[in-house]
Amino acid sequence: MGHEASLITQFVNNLFHTHLHDNVVMGIIAFIITFVIFILLTKKPEIIPTPAQQFYESVINIISSMLEDNIGKEGKEFLPFVTALAIYIFFSNVLGLIPGFSSATGNLNTTAALAVIVFLYYNYIGIKKHGFKYIKHFLGPIWWLAPLMLPIEIISHIARPFSLAIRLFANMFGDHSVFLVFLGLVPFIIPLPIMALGLFVCFIQTLIFVMLTIVYLAGAVAEEH
Amino acid sequence: MKKLFTLAIIVAAVLFAVNPAMASEGAEAAAKTPWSAVAAGISLAFAAAFGAIGQGKAIVAACEGIARNPGATGNIRTTLLIGLAFIESLVLYVLVIAFVIK
Repeated sequence: MGHEASLITQFVNNLFHTHLHDNVVMGIIAFIITFVIFILLTKKPEIIPTPAQQFYESVINIISSMLEDNIGKEGKEFLPFVTALAIYIFFSNVLGLIPGFSSATGNLNTTAALAVIVFLYYNYIGIKKHGFKYIKHFLGPIWWLAPLMLPIEIISHIARPFSLAIRLFANMFGDHSVFLVFLGLVPFIIPLPIMALGLFVCFIQTLIFVMLTIVYLAGAVAEEH
Repeated sequence: MKKLFTLAIIVAAVLFAVNPAMASEGAEAAAKTPWSAVAAGISLAFAAAFGAIGQGKAIVAACEGIARNPGATGNIRTTLLIGLAFIESLVLYVLVIAFVIK
């Protein structure tokens, strides 16, 4: 199911004489946008907020409230990571809606990379907080059930990055495919609702990815009873 | 200097992360008989049907919740959308496998 590269990647490849793939170029563009947004976020906040500052504050409020609801007091230290992830995924998704661009997350490689990063990060946070007693998370509540619980827990933990990656990839790729099919059938007005649905799905999938990241972090940081 | 080093590591990590040569996508594992298209179609039909039933139940519960307690509409709507996205992702897993089979 290979298709030719989008216009932007063709343009970039011609300009720099590279042979970069579609999602690499779009991933770099989304990364640059995230970087610029974060640089803009470090400006000194004013007492009477400008519209841009209100928008940033609302984004950070949403993520911060999700962190506090799920993790509690320690959630604040994960705010930069989760915000960067959210903004990167959102812009990767949304750029695909513009004709001539494609979404970096429409490729399984990008979403797998993001899922692996989240997996490694929450395990790292768990080990950093609990030391090697992090293994106790996998053993379950009763000690003599541990030989049964350990494989089950390990399998369920391994399934997490898979499900994260495939969920995001399938949503973006499926949306794009449906849009292309409609474009082939009735090019005139009908693809517009599909694009609106695509925009909606972009939002929701970012939210789902971020929320699952926060839930996994909460599970790693949780205190035993 | 330390910040520049950290920045360089992050940039390198991002560029490595999206490298397409490091992962294979959709490798041909199954033999492509004419039946594979039938399998893809039937499995998608099942997935869409049961997914629609599940989402219908979720929406029914959400509507009843809003009818009983209109003040909690915001919370119920958020929970509904998140639940629908989870159910939808199960259907989409089947779609991915259908593409791999086909």
